[in-house]
Amino acid sequence: MAATLGQEYAAFKRELDSKGIIFSFSGYLSEGILFSLGEALREKMTLEDADGPTVRRVFSVFVEQMQNIIRYSAEKIVANDGRTIELSAGMVTIGMEGGKFFIVCGNTVRNGDVPRLRERLDFLKGLDKDGIKAHYREQLREAPDEGSRGATIGLIEIARRASEPIEYDFAATDTDKTFFCLKVRI
Amino acid sequence: MATERLTIPATPRTPEIDFDFASGRLALRGESYPDDVATLFGPVVAALREHLAEPSDAPLHVAIELVYFNSSSAKVLMTIFQLLEAAARQGRPVTVDWYCDPDDETMREFGEDFSEDLEHVAFSLREAADRDS
Repeated sequence: MAATLGQEYAAFKRELDSKGIIFSFSGYLSEGILFSLGEALREKMTLEDADGPTVRRVFSVFVEQMQNIIRYSAEKIVANDGRTIELSAGMVTIGMEGGKFFIVCGNTVRNGDVPRLRERLDFLKGLDKDGIKAHYREQLREAPDEGSRGATIGLIEIARRASEPIEYDFAATDTDKTFFCLKVRI
Repeated sequence: MATERLTIPATPRTPEIDFDFASGRLALRGESYPDDVATLFGPVVAALREHLAEPSDAPLHVAIELVYFNSSSAKVLMTIFQLLEAAARQGRPVTVDWYCDPDDETMREFGEDFSEDLEHVAFSLREAADRDS
């Protein structure tokens, strides 16, 4: 017998809960959603007595991840009626696992952008704490890459706040786009 | 005529900006993760650039009291620091006070990131509690 509506969604929620997920959002992301989810995230963490530095690190990774999706998702609607509105498809999940906060972001990227992104992430993953710090200082002084709108330094900021090496993966689809995801533990 | 004072009130995601060029006191206070960094900071950086283009030996005091900023804002801060350093190299006395909470390792480290290659700007890391003294 098919599951009822209640059973179906209760099972969906149980699955999210079992992965320690606090928030999960999938769909079109915007700067407005970033702001609202970010506020809720800080409030929730503060209410649960997370210490100040942890709240700030999680929030920083959240903002950089969200802004990367908003700017670089390959599925994007841009309206320009005096002010620019970007709606970009992607997903963001924040949870707790083994006593640590984690943030996973996913979005599609153009196949042609995969090699450069993978190269940047591989490079970051190979650096230790001091290496990441030195790389950040170097990039801070660089003029931004053509068309990057600050992605380089954003990824370094993410790696800098992580307490474990960043994890990422690319899943090919049958189109000209690839699903990219990045998991960061704080 | 160059701007005498540029003030932009804070919003929940953008800092209070008070660049009082006439009195030589510039301040940034609050949080900075604007949805469009160029729209907010473009005019601010332009006004600073214009002000510093006029030779002057009037002291300039800069107070940075940010509690959080994103990586795009960090790039703007670096641009501001580079402009200040260039003016200080030409002989303008420039001091920067970087305020952060004593338990905020991240902001203290950011202060070090920005000040690393300042030679002519007098840069100080200060505890947020000292800001009114």
